[in-house]
Amino acid sequence: MSSSEVVLSAEGLAKRYGDREVVSDVSFALHRGEVFGFLGPNGAGKTTTIRMLVGLVRPTRGRVVIDGHDLATDFEAAMRRVGCIVETPDLYKFLTGRENLEHFARMIGDGASARIDELARLVHMDERLDGLVRTYSLGMRQRVGIAQALLSDPAVLILDEPTNGLDPAGIREMRELVRRLAGERGLAVFVSSHLLSEVEKMVDRIAIVHRGRTLAAGTLAEVTENGAKSLEDLFLEKTGGETV
Amino acid sequence: MSVMLGLVENEALKILRRKRFRIILIVLAALLCVVVFAQNRQQQQQRRDHPERDWRAQVEKRASDLERQMNQRRGIPEQWKRWMRYESGRLRYYLSKNLNPNELTGPVFTRAFAGVGSVLLIPLLIAVFGADLVSSEFAEGTITLLLTRPVARWKILLSKVVAMILFTTLTLLAAFFLAWGISGVAFGWSGWEAPILTGFRLGGASPAAGFDLSGVRIVSLWQDTFAAWGLAWFSALAVGSITLLLSVVFRSAAAAMGTMMATLVGGTILSRVASDWDGAKWFFVTNLPLPDYYAGLPTPFEGMTLTFSALVLLAWALAALTAAFVLFTRRDVTA
Repeated sequence: MSSSEVVLSAEGLAKRYGDREVVSDVSFALHRGEVFGFLGPNGAGKTTTIRMLVGLVRPTRGRVVIDGHDLATDFEAAMRRVGCIVETPDLYKFLTGRENLEHFARMIGDGASARIDELARLVHMDERLDGLVRTYSLGMRQRVGIAQALLSDPAVLILDEPTNGLDPAGIREMRELVRRLAGERGLAVFVSSHLLSEVEKMVDRIAIVHRGRTLAAGTLAEVTENGAKSLEDLFLEKTGGETV
Repeated sequence: MSVMLGLVENEALKILRRKRFRIILIVLAALLCVVVFAQNRQQQQQRRDHPERDWRAQVEKRASDLERQMNQRRGIPEQWKRWMRYESGRLRYYLSKNLNPNELTGPVFTRAFAGVGSVLLIPLLIAVFGADLVSSEFAEGTITLLLTRPVARWKILLSKVVAMILFTTLTLLAAFFLAWGISGVAFGWSGWEAPILTGFRLGGASPAAGFDLSGVRIVSLWQDTFAAWGLAWFSALAVGSITLLLSVVFRSAAAAMGTMMATLVGGTILSRVASDWDGAKWFFVTNLPLPDYYAGLPTPFEGMTLTFSALVLLAWALAALTAAFVLFTRRDVTA
């Protein structure tokens, strides 16, 4: 289903803190309408990479291009095309869900606030939107977080461990939402995870990152050699069987 | 531009919904009630103790008491002596013009509060809401959302600076109207037209230098009050700027607030005890009581003037804001 239109590319990303190189060489490209799995054991550099993708951390080397805009030189235009949830969906707990969405809509302008009700329906939060975020469950926060990420009508959605802490029903709902966003709206969805079984059911293509480098990358069929290997075997083989 | 308005609206919404600002107003009102009550008691007691004496005799006695203490008692710190010299000179000049310097009205109280409040109370209140501005975004994790929206980081910090200026101004306005409203209950709300003598100067450091009356002029109390509160506002903005820097540096509001409060209290002590060490005059806390320096009250260190203090505060504020912008726009946001 993926057309070849690249909407986000990471080119040779590296990040060094003092003497320690956390990310050495991470490259990949996201295409329109696909779900992209970003896999790796804990400590492989996943989080730092995601933080570089969304401008929270400045890369030591390499660059990020989003929908034709270089993140380092054209931050605002690039970020207008991205929605993201980095780690936990931390919203303002002392505000209601709606006030949170209005808050972030004001940062976007361009009538983003007009989309609030539609997005609330999309993530099934329309009935609870006027409750304080403090009273929300994790799943509800996650859904408001996704509504927030979609406010600017982005081309790319970046989700960091989106199923973490959700119950089975929540996980299934999240999976269906992600597939729908890619299929119906043509978004490129970037999903990081260490839960292989989860990712297998959700993604079109994957990249495996280990010790700060991207190892295997390709469609699920390609990397598993048309199912000859399970994703788990591949993962363990590539990462040397270290703890996941 | 419209995005900037939205950003400031966001910051105002967050400050108001966090409830800290309301607590500041309540603390302010409660403190003013206590101070007004105490002053009222004192005034009533004086009237009871000396019902016969007219105000001229009272002022005369106060001035000569101060002069006697200044000349007789040994071991009085130089700073107190200077203040005594200033106060007795001021009282004598009021007597010579047949004006009562001690008549306590709501407006007189309000004017005096600008001086007293800008030393410690108002800065502390500013620190309470200012410390939150950036550090709470880190502490609550909302910084990741805030900085991954299509708005450059400098714009986000600018909106917080604007919010800081806005709410500092609101704090000062609230302090003014609360001081006037509450003191008026006890001392009456009218009296803004009363003549005030301002511009006294001590001739120099030595007691022989005497009192410089060349700059003394008569203004209406409302003019004097307007100038004093304007200067208090300027001091408060400097405090707000420095608090904002601490809020960028620290990830916890408690750390930012604690540092600022310790600095304010420590600095106030420093300017009272370390009158020998000249370097303390470059410290921002020493220069906060602009309304007092404007009135001509002796400064704690030689060579300080109203202009000097205002410029020192301006330099501190600009340096703090510059550092805050550099840190905030460059910093990597991890975990």
